[in-house]
Amino acid sequence: MSIWLDIKYALRLLFNAPKFTAMTLGVLIGGLSISLFTFSFLYTSIYKPLPIPEGETAKALAVFEDGKYRYIRSFEYQAIKDNVASFAEFGVYDTGDMRINIKESGKSYYGSYVRAGFFEFSRIKPILGRTISENDTLVGAPAVAVISYEVWQSEYQGNENILTRSIKVDGINTDIIGVMPKDYRFPNMSKVWLPLLNSVLLESPQHSEYLYGYARLKAGVNIKDAEQELTQKINQIYQRNVKLFDLPKVEKHVKLLTFQMAQTGNDGAVAFAGLMTISFLILLLACINVGNLLLARSIERQKETAIRAALGAKTARLVSQLLWEGVIIASVGGLLSVLLVGAALDYTEVAIHSWLPGGGSFWWHYGMDGATLLMAVVFTLITILLSAFFPAWRSAHQDINSTLRDGTRGAQSKKAGRVSRILVTTQVFLVALLMLIGSITAFISHKFINLEMGDDYSNVMTARFSVPEKKYPEPQQQIALMQSLIAKLEQHPNLVGVINHNWIGASKVMLEGHEYLSEEDKLLIDVASLIGDSATVGVNLVAGRQFTHLDKSGNRKTAIISQSMAKRYWPGESPLEKSFTVNINDIDERVFIVGVVTNRMNASAMFGSRDSADEIYLSGLQFFDPYQILLYKTLPNTQQPEEIFYQAMFAIDRSIELTYSVQGASENRNKMRESMGLMSEITFGTGFFSLLLAMVGIYGLTANSVAQRTHEVGIRRAVGASDRDILRMFLKQGGKQLIIGLSLALLIFALISFGFHKFTEGIFPVYIYFSQALTVVFGLTVVVMLAIYLPSKKAVIMEPSMALRYE
Amino acid sequence: MKALLKLNDVSKTFLTEDIETKAINDISLEINKGEYVALSGQSGCGKSTLLSLLGLLDSPTAGQYWLADNDISSLSRNQRAEIRSKEIGFVFQSFNLISDLTVLENVMLPLTYQSGLSKAVIENRAKVVLEKVEMGHRKNHFPSQLSGGQQQRVAVARALVNEPKIILADEPTGNLDSKNAESVLQLFEQLHREGATICMVTHDPASAKRASRCLEMFDGRLIKDSINSTIKNNAVSTLEVAAG
Ligand SMILES: Nc1ncnc2c1ncn2[C@@H]1O[C@H](COP(=O)(O)OP(=O)(O)OP(=O)(O)O)[C@@H](O)[C@H]1O
Ligand SMILES: [Mg+2]
Repeated sequence: MSIWLDIKYALRLLFNAPKFTAMTLGVLIGGLSISLFTFSFLYTSIYKPLPIPEGETAKALAVFEDGKYRYIRSFEYQAIKDNVASFAEFGVYDTGDMRINIKESGKSYYGSYVRAGFFEFSRIKPILGRTISENDTLVGAPAVAVISYEVWQSEYQGNENILTRSIKVDGINTDIIGVMPKDYRFPNMSKVWLPLLNSVLLESPQHSEYLYGYARLKAGVNIKDAEQELTQKINQIYQRNVKLFDLPKVEKHVKLLTFQMAQTGNDGAVAFAGLMTISFLILLLACINVGNLLLARSIERQKETAIRAALGAKTARLVSQLLWEGVIIASVGGLLSVLLVGAALDYTEVAIHSWLPGGGSFWWHYGMDGATLLMAVVFTLITILLSAFFPAWRSAHQDINSTLRDGTRGAQSKKAGRVSRILVTTQVFLVALLMLIGSITAFISHKFINLEMGDDYSNVMTARFSVPEKKYPEPQQQIALMQSLIAKLEQHPNLVGVINHNWIGASKVMLEGHEYLSEEDKLLIDVASLIGDSATVGVNLVAGRQFTHLDKSGNRKTAIISQSMAKRYWPGESPLEKSFTVNINDIDERVFIVGVVTNRMNASAMFGSRDSADEIYLSGLQFFDPYQILLYKTLPNTQQPEEIFYQAMFAIDRSIELTYSVQGASENRNKMRESMGLMSEITFGTGFFSLLLAMVGIYGLTANSVAQRTHEVGIRRAVGASDRDILRMFLKQGGKQLIIGLSLALLIFALISFGFHKFTEGIFPVYIYFSQALTVVFGLTVVVMLAIYLPSKKAVIMEPSMALRYE
Repeated sequence: MKALLKLNDVSKTFLTEDIETKAINDISLEINKGEYVALSGQSGCGKSTLLSLLGLLDSPTAGQYWLADNDISSLSRNQRAEIRSKEIGFVFQSFNLISDLTVLENVMLPLTYQSGLSKAVIENRAKVVLEKVEMGHRKNHFPSQLSGGQQQRVAVARALVNEPKIILADEPTGNLDSKNAESVLQLFEQLHREGATICMVTHDPASAKRASRCLEMFDGRLIKDSINSTIKNNAVSTLEVAAG
């Protein structure tokens, strides 16, 4: 009965102060929604059980080699697959890009190479036909494929007779044996499944491949024991082969992860923890603000509380009385946040599916779920504890006597006033820092998105692939293969140019005639290998010549350098025919400069201007890497430009393994820019929201502390203070908090930007930092002063006799 | 002699949630310079409201109010603030000391809102009036550390510190024992002799008798106005009391 009265009383208080209620709710919903959304998004992306039957027991295998994230090797799997005691199911698969040809046109799909047991592991049956069996993986068995519902629909319009059809997969006639149900993309985003042949497992350890492993534990076995068993078995089999096949010595360590975590390369935990911490801090900020607003209100009613206590109310009763206001606000806030987050998740689901036409990993299904609801309850409880219980408890434990003794609010409100002032100062500091760092981030992403790369990728296609080393073990054979591929491509009437271009990475360089006392003294310059004319990608010759077929092994080793390098090390003279030494694969190679080309953006120059770091190009005929990137330029308006490569490849050798679909060279870059843009938008959105949150917090705190002093304003005015005197008093106090907060923020910002400026070698001129700091100082000053001015004005307008009655 | 303040058909109506309270009902009144007026009447009859109108803490809902020939309604907010700080000393029924300021700072407050006074001067004058009310020894205490009577004396000191022409006191002796009450009344009499105009609300007939003029209110109206001929008055008042 009494509780019901308390609730009614709290509701009346909230309804009587609609602005306060709205503001508190706003702050709370903001904080709760950000935390909840972050949790739900990350949980679905990383921790949630896979959306397949028995998904929670499906594990992916990670094999760390000396701490580096790797996978199981095929020979290791072959050796242990039948005698791992911990596993009920254990298998491997590989993924890759698959080219499906129907009549003339072709399409690339992401697919998997799998073995018998794979589909059973996912506990899902095909809607048509059968899945891959043991016989399909025998060497020499007829080629078969299982296709996804989406491929069946888009390529074959859902034709029921599909199982009698054969298609060309990677140029090979293949029988379709089954169709998987809608949305089935196991192990993550496969659309086509081919057999992983026995021959892959029987490969000698030297040529053995890394494969993705998956497993389910036997009932009663715990993960740690299983990891231990596997670690021991894999190390044992690997060490036995180290000497036999001259393999690198590494210590292996197995971990069983969720499929989602495995996809993030085990970094998901860090990202999860980091992002959760940030969003939790935002929730904390919201709680502190709400708590302080509620505390301010309970202090307003302190005298009433004291009277109730004097009349005999028990502490529990007083706490309950004060608590309900916070409980109601937190509960309503929690409820509204759940609705808001639900809508945001639905929107995310739609956005992701329109952004990624393939649908991404199959577990990326965002929406309100049980875990998120549970978290909402937990967060709401935390909020109640932090923002309602503590203030109520504190207020109920006040010194009744001192409150009742006199007409003043006494020491309690003074303490609360100090807390509130410290909070405002802290928030000014946080907001200022957030704004400053945010503006720098905005600048960086803007710079990146509009980065001039120094090349021209228009009408250029990229093909990334690796040369099959088993078939072409000798570098000369590999080069020959590459040359014939290039020659084949050049036959196409629409082809403008083709180059083979590979970043080797930053390498140690010693110039002729210089002493290098230690390794650190040597220059570190980005090196790439090149076959063909670099003008194909817009890197133009300014002096000397391009590489020719004569720059091959056996002949003098040659190099082309960037303009910036020529200027830096041979100022005022021609670098042509000068020589230097570059360390490639631990061998110091002496090379002679034969050409100079325009500058490009490279990895070392990412933060600097284009000429801040140099490039060295070596002849691809002299320095060859089996992993290759081929770039070719076509005439504008060429239809299906990727088909040019596929045709050439199928004509030369089908066994070339594409690592990615052939695509526009700028596509990857655009995707990167797009995702960068999205990332910065998300950071910005969250940053902006927390900014808004803190602003509302600052406004609420200031307005409340001004309102609390209405009575004092009345007294001051009664004894002769003018409006200006009063405003000045408040502004002075607010100004102090502003100055402390801003100076701290500026100090830290100065340190950060100084470090950043040095690190980036002055990518932004110094005045940018100053103007950013100035803008932030100005903007924040205006906001804080307004937050003080508006409520002060209201307190001043009141007739003194009214203000004096204000308790 | 000219009237120092003059009310003409002044009314004050409070509107709270559809209930109209006519706290002051058509009062016309003149108080001359140098008069010592005692205002009495039963609780809730409008004494405090009248006093806050006189002290420019509130404005009437109807009627005119002249203070030293100025029509109050024509004064700006700043001008009114200036009059409050220079000409008026107000003792509140509920003291109204600022809890975050010490006794001395509370007393100094009115002077800090006048321009051209140095801090030393302000502090000195505050100390002098504090001695007058025998609160000098408590000047560094906070209000919450004082008894009710002590707070009242500080409130009186604050009202006197700016040497006001008019002192408006709302039951200044309500919380005091007879000895302290006597010293406050003597202080008022001394100020009165020095030429100050005083208007004091009191329930105590004995205190009222020491004033030169007694007003009585009932339900928002003045019902009685009498001159105490035994008190030597600095001014001869012309009485004009509107018929209740
Ligand atoms: N701000 C206000 N809002 C509403 N009503 C008010 C307000 N101020 C005063 N009143 C009403 O006006 C009437 C006069 O109040 P006032 O305080 O002047 O009485 P008083 O004569 O000083 O009484 P007391 O001797 O008890 O102090 C009362 O009925 C009171 O309820
Ligand atoms: Mg009164």
